[in-house]
Amino acid sequence: MSFLTPLFLLGALAVAAPILFHLIRQTSKEKTEFSSLMFLFAVPPRVTRRSRLEHILLLILRGLVLSLLAFAFARPFLPKAFTSDLPTGPGKRVVVLVDTSASMRRDGLWADARTKAESLCRAATPADSVAVFAFDREVRRLVTHEQWTSAAAGQRVALAVDALAKTSPGWNGTQLGQALVAAASVLDDARTDNAAQPTRGPRQVVLISDLAEGSRLDALQAFEWPKGTELIVEPLKAKKPTNAGLQLIADTDENEKKPGEALARVRVSNSTDAKREQFQIGWSDGKDFVGKPQDIYVPPGQSRVVALTAPPLGAVAERVLLRGDDEPFDNSLALIPPEAARIGVLYLGGESATDTTEPLYFLERAFPPTRRQVVEVLARPPAAQFLPSDVEAPLIILTDTLSDERNATVRRLLTDGKTVLLSLKNRNVERTLAGLLGKESVSAEEAKVASYALLAEIDFQHPLFAPFADPRFSDFTKIHFWKYRRLDPTQLPGARALAKFDTGDPALLQVPVGKGTLYILTTGWQPADSQLALSSKFLPLLFSLLEQAGGIRPPITQHIVGDAVPLTATNAAVRVTKPDGTSLMLGAGTAAVIQAEQPGIFTAISGTMTQRFAANLDPAESKTAPLPIEALEHLGLPVTRADGKTPVQVAETKRQLANAELEGRQKLWRWLIAFTLVFVTLETLLAGWLAKRPAATASSETISPAARLS
Amino acid sequence: MISPADQVGHASGELIDPQALMAIRSLEMRARVVVEGFWTGIHRSPYHGFSVEFTEYRQYTPGDDPRYLDWKLFARSDRYFIKKFEDETNLRCHILADNSRSMTFGTRGYTKAQYANTLAATLAYFLHQQGDAIGVLTFDERIREYLPARHRPGHLRHLMLALEKPAAGAATDLVAPLKRIVEIVRKRGLMVLLSDLLAPVETLENNLAALTASGHEVVVFQVLDPAEVAFDFSKAALFHDLESGRHLYVDPESVRAEYQRRFEAHCRAVEAICTKLGIVHRRFATDRPLELVLFDFLRERMNRGKVVKRNTA
Repeated sequence: MSFLTPLFLLGALAVAAPILFHLIRQTSKEKTEFSSLMFLFAVPPRVTRRSRLEHILLLILRGLVLSLLAFAFARPFLPKAFTSDLPTGPGKRVVVLVDTSASMRRDGLWADARTKAESLCRAATPADSVAVFAFDREVRRLVTHEQWTSAAAGQRVALAVDALAKTSPGWNGTQLGQALVAAASVLDDARTDNAAQPTRGPRQVVLISDLAEGSRLDALQAFEWPKGTELIVEPLKAKKPTNAGLQLIADTDENEKKPGEALARVRVSNSTDAKREQFQIGWSDGKDFVGKPQDIYVPPGQSRVVALTAPPLGAVAERVLLRGDDEPFDNSLALIPPEAARIGVLYLGGESATDTTEPLYFLERAFPPTRRQVVEVLARPPAAQFLPSDVEAPLIILTDTLSDERNATVRRLLTDGKTVLLSLKNRNVERTLAGLLGKESVSAEEAKVASYALLAEIDFQHPLFAPFADPRFSDFTKIHFWKYRRLDPTQLPGARALAKFDTGDPALLQVPVGKGTLYILTTGWQPADSQLALSSKFLPLLFSLLEQAGGIRPPITQHIVGDAVPLTATNAAVRVTKPDGTSLMLGAGTAAVIQAEQPGIFTAISGTMTQRFAANLDPAESKTAPLPIEALEHLGLPVTRADGKTPVQVAETKRQLANAELEGRQKLWRWLIAFTLVFVTLETLLAGWLAKRPAATASSETISPAARLS
Repeated sequence: MISPADQVGHASGELIDPQALMAIRSLEMRARVVVEGFWTGIHRSPYHGFSVEFTEYRQYTPGDDPRYLDWKLFARSDRYFIKKFEDETNLRCHILADNSRSMTFGTRGYTKAQYANTLAATLAYFLHQQGDAIGVLTFDERIREYLPARHRPGHLRHLMLALEKPAAGAATDLVAPLKRIVEIVRKRGLMVLLSDLLAPVETLENNLAALTASGHEVVVFQVLDPAEVAFDFSKAALFHDLESGRHLYVDPESVRAEYQRRFEAHCRAVEAICTKLGIVHRRFATDRPLELVLFDFLRERMNRGKVVKRNTA
């Protein structure tokens, strides 16, 4: 005998009710009025054995009725031999994706994630194959399918549990899209690999994540989810919803800061499901506020930009701290005020810097210092010795004839990867040009210009001219060229004319030499040759050249955790100190790039040079409000919302369905209800008879008061 | 001894069931039914001339005041008879009806108060027919209604109305009403007290003594419900005292014997007091036909002279 809804059997406990009623029948609250209590005394309610015996049949009937009802409601049935529905076919292939991004550092999330992952592993049947992957910015394979299947059946869960115990959430952002693609691909690959085995079991990707809003799904945009692979989402819920995060905002202002001006601007964003709105922000020495913090009000789902003025003088404050938030993982921002980069431009020419007819005069004025960089023109006479700093300069500008020895030095630098701009100020420079190209000679002749020449054909596709590609800036007709040297491009192997005069002669040529690039300007910018130096195009052109030479790097406001940060190359060994105090030695000559795997300030010391940079949490990690599962569905993912059904539970559901069918056929409850009705009728009759009987006996037993009196 | 049922009764020889009697709404009608039934029975009985004061005319004896000679009777019968004044010859009877809350108890479909009032009305009707002066005093813890003893047309009606008024009182307190009646009623007469006497016996004696001391002849009818006597309740329940409002949880089966013992002791005490004071005491249950009670009363009156008054007080 089995039951479909055995919980209803608890209803049989109601049998206690009639028993209780029978017991307390004597202690009922019935009131009898009496003329005087002067002859009476209190008698505590008592339960006489007689009273129970009197109505024992009634009690049995009532108990039977209730028991039968409970029994009927429990839907009993006679089970038949149930065929085991454990999957006999091939087992499932499951990839469990566990989120280890920074947002998982929130209170209790990782423990939940581990518990869920472990229970999934435990629920796997021996035929199943489970892989456990952790992901944040990248996907890490904790347990692969091969490891799982090669391990003994009893060791598999322990394998996964060990691997999970060794893992913990890091500080990285969440590349959810990439992780899903990787997991789906692993399952899909496995299918194609085993083509000989045509029937594969079902494939599942189980995602255990807090599904923060800041998860990146871009990788899924162009990905076609393999058919037949199921995605089960096990969302984790944070205990405290409020999470505010900090983000440093890039400062686009190139001008020097005035003393009272904001040093940095920080965006404070609050999660959409936040419960708190009041926060404090201020400079910090890593533990507490330095100076007075600012009070800010950020409603849920909104953000505020806070301008931070410089910390108090003398205080070491390289962090911005946020207070008032439930989750501390993203409440600190490391901040090193940017320093202007010093860039050298080596100028080799014999003229005086004050001579207004010479190119150097204009060149020195072409690079005003900005907050971001200070460009220094290192003017050297052609015969002078190079200083070590001269060799560091990314751009070399030549306007004069060099000695053979010097020419060889420059050519070496050029072939090593430097950029050289050669201006054919006069025909004599052709010797230098030939030297740089490693040729015997290059012929250049003075062009005959009627009145002036204009730039006619400009290759705006080239990065050098790309900033001018917009029609608003592409007008070069205001620049008149009085003189230029005609140079036959066929003499120069690999030369590419970036700009030509209206006569068809090249004005600017690009020639690759070794690793470096040689730009040849067939004219000069001094007033004797052209109006170029006085035109509005001169400065952008020079900056564009400097950028091509690698002198100007795109501004990096901050590094995100997980970024590879290049260090300035040196020959000495580099000692890198991480924010948590541990240090790392990089051997001399190794690629000087380190990966910032934690937020904070990194210090790299090599010899006498110290470099510091700050790495911060991905701002997207602060967006911890739950991502709607529909967002995944919109990307074409067949999401099954995890209702916590493990395979064991699925089998249980199946068994219950079969039971329901069996019970539906047998319908034993009908008989039980029929018996119940019979017993109810009997009970009614008996109770009615009992109710009448005492009255009859009482009246017959009453002694006549008259008789008593007489 | 002749059984009362043989002596009193209707023509059919049956007594009126009090339950049937109480179904009659009008108190006067009830009294009339009882008394007329009683008369019917009395004519069949060997005893004649039952009366409270039967001597209306007295044979003239020398020395009597000739002013009271009934000359008309002398003219008819040629004999001298002295005509007595009503005031002198007629009985002055006061019926004291207890209307306290304990009297509102009843298990036979009517309360003790209803029974007592019917009895009072019956007595009043009976005595009124005889020409006696009847007064009524209803009381609980104080006097509710008082009608002085008179014999006038319409007085009976007033009596009935006074007796019909519902009981509103709380406790039985015999002290105040009895004291008061002693003060009010100066002339000696008959006092019929209808009460359950369910009150402490200590005070009872003093009060009844005050009545007898002032020269009144006192008859006490102790009206009790059969349930009070037998305590034949079957279910254990919360018993509610009608007078004090007290609640008591009682299992009748276990207390019955003790109750009956205590109740009997109380009744004995009451009886002893009455005997001691020379008071006629009758105890009966409300299921006793009223004719029998009336018969008891009259027989008591008849034997009055024979009883030696043992008033030692």
